[in-house]
Amino acid sequence: MSVDAKQYSPAQQDCASHLSLAPTLKTDALTLGYGVRKQRVKVIDGLTLGLPDGKVTAIVGPNGCGKSTLLAGLARLQLPESGSVLLEGKDIQHLKRRDVAQRIALLPQETHSPEGVTVHELVRFGRQPHQGALSQWSQQDQSVVTAAMVAADIESLSERELSSMSGGQRQRAWIAMALAQQTPLLLLDEPTSALDLGHQIEVFELIQRLAHVEDKTIVMVVHDLASACRYADHLVAMHAGRVIAEGPPAEVVTPALVRQLYGVECRLIPDPDTGTPLLIGVRRTHERLSGSAT
Amino acid sequence: MPETKLYRSPTFCSAVSTPTSPLSIASAPAGTLWWRWGAVSLLVYRAPLLAACGLLAALLMSSLASLTLGSAGLDLLDALKAIFGIGEFMHVFVVQELRLPRLLAGMGTGAAFALAGCLMQTLAGNRLATPGIIGIDNGATAFAVASVVGLGASIAPPAMALSGAVVAMALAFGLSGGIGTRGYRFLVAGIGVGALFGAGTQLMLARVSIDVANNAYPWTVGSLNARDANSVIWLGIAMLIGLPLALWLGRGLNTLRFTDRVATGLGLPVARMRLMILWLSVVLTAAAVAVAGPVGMVALVGPEIARYLSRHKGVPLLASALAGALVMVLADLAGRTLLSPLEVPVGIVMAVVGSPYLLWILLRSPR
Repeated sequence: MSVDAKQYSPAQQDCASHLSLAPTLKTDALTLGYGVRKQRVKVIDGLTLGLPDGKVTAIVGPNGCGKSTLLAGLARLQLPESGSVLLEGKDIQHLKRRDVAQRIALLPQETHSPEGVTVHELVRFGRQPHQGALSQWSQQDQSVVTAAMVAADIESLSERELSSMSGGQRQRAWIAMALAQQTPLLLLDEPTSALDLGHQIEVFELIQRLAHVEDKTIVMVVHDLASACRYADHLVAMHAGRVIAEGPPAEVVTPALVRQLYGVECRLIPDPDTGTPLLIGVRRTHERLSGSAT
Repeated sequence: MPETKLYRSPTFCSAVSTPTSPLSIASAPAGTLWWRWGAVSLLVYRAPLLAACGLLAALLMSSLASLTLGSAGLDLLDALKAIFGIGEFMHVFVVQELRLPRLLAGMGTGAAFALAGCLMQTLAGNRLATPGIIGIDNGATAFAVASVVGLGASIAPPAMALSGAVVAMALAFGLSGGIGTRGYRFLVAGIGVGALFGAGTQLMLARVSIDVANNAYPWTVGSLNARDANSVIWLGIAMLIGLPLALWLGRGLNTLRFTDRVATGLGLPVARMRLMILWLSVVLTAAAVAVAGPVGMVALVGPEIARYLSRHKGVPLLASALAGALVMVLADLAGRTLLSPLEVPVGIVMAVVGSPYLLWILLRSPR
């Protein structure tokens, strides 16, 4: 079935091979969970996954399938129960925090910020992994902070406090902070959740540009399957803590997969502009309808 | 590593690459001061620094007032001369033996309480979470009182206060489920522990003779009258180590104001930071309680003043310490002089003046 699509395209292999054949970030039989011993819940169960370098990878799946937990595990925010996350072939738990922070930036889903913090201050925090107790600010820091704000289109609001801004503006400020970290890897947890259509497209196009022009590796959790198909090079479909399909969206996304993930029927047509799959005629499955009727 | 890739890339930022852009000239970000000496560069917020300067000036003035005012009124020159042992014997005695040690004890305790409060508030992400509220003051007091009533004389109050504070902290954190706990769970556990120790103190006092209870009285309300020289020295040592250590942790503390996920993502060793901050806060509180008893209100009021004057920029550690010292010195001065010859313990003055003031500050800035 769709699991067969789990082979990287030749272009991807070329891209990865100039450093090493293996992707920079991958998991090896990773198991993540939460809760105390007796009520321990395994959210991710024995997951082995490689995230292709220089590509946009979208993780999709229904609510509670472990997408965000996986992202937290990849960012070293959660200690694995077993297995490991490998960054450049080394177990991420054995690397220094600072080294990880210089390679992986995470945009968390919740965007609580301390009172009184302005956009510029927030973005400055992104420079922290590159700074030290006695090197707190430099010309380069300033250039990067400004560039990150320009890229996220938040520069005009740089002296505004986050508490006085709309959800979308705040989201873009956080994206700028992640960019200021200047990491080759970016992990984004629903980067467009609070944005209007215009800014959604802007952020997705920025993400594509970062991957394709700047050779960054992007991993994003996305709720909207259509956006994932449109903007991701690589799709990881998760269900109940396991990867059920992986590969380029055009090969991976099938009506059967959509049914398995979300319990809905749909038809797929290629997007006339981009050729990526488009979902049309989405409706609940018959089994579900008859199931709820009886 | 694509270290400088981000701003070299023309697609990422064209603004930086144009040489005429004012952005290519490095400057301090708005509201900060930036110093460079070779490879060393420091960036600090301007508002907290100005606040600290203002508070320092206010502290110096109130210190002079504290040296001159009192039952034996001195003029400024006499008081200053008397510090160095010059002038009339009475003046020198009053200043050197009575007022100066008391002033130093007031400044030290106020600064230690407020610094500990600021640290704990940042640690817990809650401005109500001061050592006084979560029962550390009460724990330290209970142990100190136990040594007074149990042994007839207080033996090594700093050591007793420290063990009490550590026990209270261990209980509060143990009950709330560990150091990583944020917010109300840990506050509620702390309030419970504090109430327990408070009740224990009262019980001990109720069961001993009136003379012994009188001996222990300053411990229960908070007073600079009962200080012993040894405790003041320990407090001085705690502050000399604690304040620089806190300032050194300052950058990490600032990052700790975000959620743990964000702070960890930025490379901060969150658990280790928390442990250090917690210990620092407990030790400072214990050292202050050993001198002045539980004047926990300073830990709420001091940082609040500092944050207000600093316009909520960063974690105002230095300004908090100075504000705490100022408040303590003023409260003690008021307690000594307002109802003279009757002396009101500084803890009571703090409660009377501090509570409404705290309410006012909390209610006027609803952020």
